[in-house]
Amino acid sequence: MSPEQLQAESFSTYSPAARAFAVQHLALLRRLPLSICPSFLVQISTLDTCFPTERSFLQHQCAALEAIQRGELDALLAPMRSITLPPEMSAMNWVKAPDLFVERLSEVLWASGQINGFHQASRALFAAIPDPADGRERLLLITLGRGADASRGSLLKKLARQGLRLEALQADTAAQEMMSTLRQRSERTPEDYGHWYVDGGERWAAPVQQSASLIQTGYNDLAPLRDHVLERMQTFLQQKGGAESMRTSLASIGPPAFAGGRISSDPVLQRFYTELFTKGSGTQVFSTSFVQWSGRELARRAKPSTLLLRYVPRQRNRGLNDMIAKQSGDTLEPEGSLIDAEMGAFYNWIEMNRISTPGKLTTLAWAEDSQRAVLIGPGTRPNTLSHQRVTVLEALAFARGA
Amino acid sequence: MNFSRFTTSRELAASRRDFLRSAIGMLSATSARSGLALPLASIRPAEKTIVVTFGGGARDEETFAEEGQENIPNLLNTLLPQGTFFPQVRNAGILGHYVATASIVTGVYERFNNFVAQPPPNPTLFEYFRRELRRPLTDAWVIAPSNGFQKIGCSSNSGFGARFGAGVILPKRLLSAARASMPNQTDQLQYLLQDNYEMPEYEVRSSSQEREMHLDTLESTLRLSVDDFVKRARTLDSADELSLFIMRRLMDQHAPSLMMLTLHDMDVAHSGAYSLYIDAIRRADRLCAELWQAVQSHPEYKNRTTVYFMPDFGRDADDDPAGNGFQHHRTGSDMARTTWLLALGPHVRQNAVVERPIESIDLVPTIGKHLGFDAKTPGRYIEELR
Repeated sequence: MSPEQLQAESFSTYSPAARAFAVQHLALLRRLPLSICPSFLVQISTLDTCFPTERSFLQHQCAALEAIQRGELDALLAPMRSITLPPEMSAMNWVKAPDLFVERLSEVLWASGQINGFHQASRALFAAIPDPADGRERLLLITLGRGADASRGSLLKKLARQGLRLEALQADTAAQEMMSTLRQRSERTPEDYGHWYVDGGERWAAPVQQSASLIQTGYNDLAPLRDHVLERMQTFLQQKGGAESMRTSLASIGPPAFAGGRISSDPVLQRFYTELFTKGSGTQVFSTSFVQWSGRELARRAKPSTLLLRYVPRQRNRGLNDMIAKQSGDTLEPEGSLIDAEMGAFYNWIEMNRISTPGKLTTLAWAEDSQRAVLIGPGTRPNTLSHQRVTVLEALAFARGA
Repeated sequence: MNFSRFTTSRELAASRRDFLRSAIGMLSATSARSGLALPLASIRPAEKTIVVTFGGGARDEETFAEEGQENIPNLLNTLLPQGTFFPQVRNAGILGHYVATASIVTGVYERFNNFVAQPPPNPTLFEYFRRELRRPLTDAWVIAPSNGFQKIGCSSNSGFGARFGAGVILPKRLLSAARASMPNQTDQLQYLLQDNYEMPEYEVRSSSQEREMHLDTLESTLRLSVDDFVKRARTLDSADELSLFIMRRLMDQHAPSLMMLTLHDMDVAHSGAYSLYIDAIRRADRLCAELWQAVQSHPEYKNRTTVYFMPDFGRDADDDPAGNGFQHHRTGSDMARTTWLLALGPHVRQNAVVERPIESIDLVPTIGKHLGFDAKTPGRYIEELR
């Protein structure tokens, strides 16, 4: 089947909302080459469990492509159309299972040496779509380094190059101020899935109720999901399957039945939390990887206004099979975890910066229990230093240029 | 979707060059012609070759860029001044470790499934070497870290194949078998046995094309009892150290003329733990120096061995939205495709940088021309290493 042959009935297995979306954009989908049409269907088919921002962004992308003049769009799609695929791929049921098609597509593109051409073509296509207006003021709060020595001069050096290094942050009230800031922002600008707190261990005592606007979760909260995935991985290892098929197998795991009772009743969150472990790498065994990946995926998908990420020490590295089997995993590694978290924090800043309008992102990364932090915002200058004693609230006001 | 500007391979190379010049005052190859230690004619007959790859890839940021220098003191301060450095080596093939390593040893960008252990379809460096130079089977070896590399010693090419292949030693598989043969052992050596996060197990495609050394020939091949092997393993910190131990044992017992060692610890990066990735790079740096020192202090190898150090490829850039930074090598971007080569040996110019780009598949024809056999590959001979 080719995209030109798509009919409204083709989407009969989709949910009503997904089907309606596909039918609404049927003319566009018919014009897309086979090398990219299923990628759109991956998103459309999971529309029910997408974050609102993902739905609106997909709508924006489709509308923008539909608005491009026919000849111009044909020119943009021409490189995609020139991608050569083996005949059996068009015989796949890529409408019903677009994710399997996309996985196979990736293999084919690499094996046939077309991967770079494909990336170039997709970059050109999406570059033709203007970014949607988003003037939100965003805030990224990060804590890291619990139990580690945070006194070295190079602490958070990648972030420090971007902003102001604070050497006298008031530590005893910092956690409380961060949490109250998160709560106040969620109350001031309530938006579904707009404000998040993700903890790498046991969450700080939360002074507020979970709400549609303020989502709070942690590594320990999601332990049942993680255990579920680890069990699947262990079974897979015992069967001696290959790495690629293990990834495919994990990606096919949907939210388990118990998720509704023990994790969340919200199908959007059930899917998001499940995919942190089934599509992330290392998230199942290292809490630092979990926090970094959570922050990355939230920035990419939910595009939150406020994001509080707390890195805590991960377990000591051991044999992968031991870690998957959860054998003797009580020993923590604070110093290595701090290094992991420093890089993770840098990546979290990159991701949040990518989705923010210039001058609209404020970032504070604090070495927990110390007076040391890095502050980045429209009011700070790159690679600067301050020994002035400040509270979190004062620092944030300064970074915003208030 | 947003796409940020990507660093080009040319920019990567320039950054390495600038840093090297400022750090150790290296000369460009075009101006440095005086580093030849011995005339070629006097060293050709008994030359030995060792290829060391980093299966896991290492980025500039953690190695040759200014902020990475603290991780590679031995490469920078000890080895670079003694060799010729190529800062711009491009891997245009599939960025998976097995298939990329196979491409390096065949000189052809192989296209098979990275996750299925199978002999490469094109003849390997080892087969060219043994067939064309009529070398015995103990004269070419591969020491590789992972399950899946057992097929890399020879190709499925009908004109070559197992009868001309290299012996393959997978130290982790040997150790695992050794422990299984000693049921009363209760020590924890799992840390030496782990593969990286992405490939805990490989699917093995059955084939007669295999030259893997198994436990039953450990003693006859390496003059090492199973007990002593396990005892020695207990003193080591990582799988890469175990691999180097095996290589030194081979040097002592057979003094092979052609060996390849793949270091793999740094691929722990796939777990997302940056500290473990950095630890592995530092360990690889130390092991490279130990290897060179072993070569230069060994009577069979001293002053007649060329060593090539080359990561199989890089890793994804921090700001590439399609990837997750150092963790993977999935984007196919320039950062992921660009790596480097450092060559040391009696015929290699010292303290030199070659700025022109080369490709990872150029290594086989270069070694072939140097040793005296013709490899039929699309790779090109690296003139600066003649």
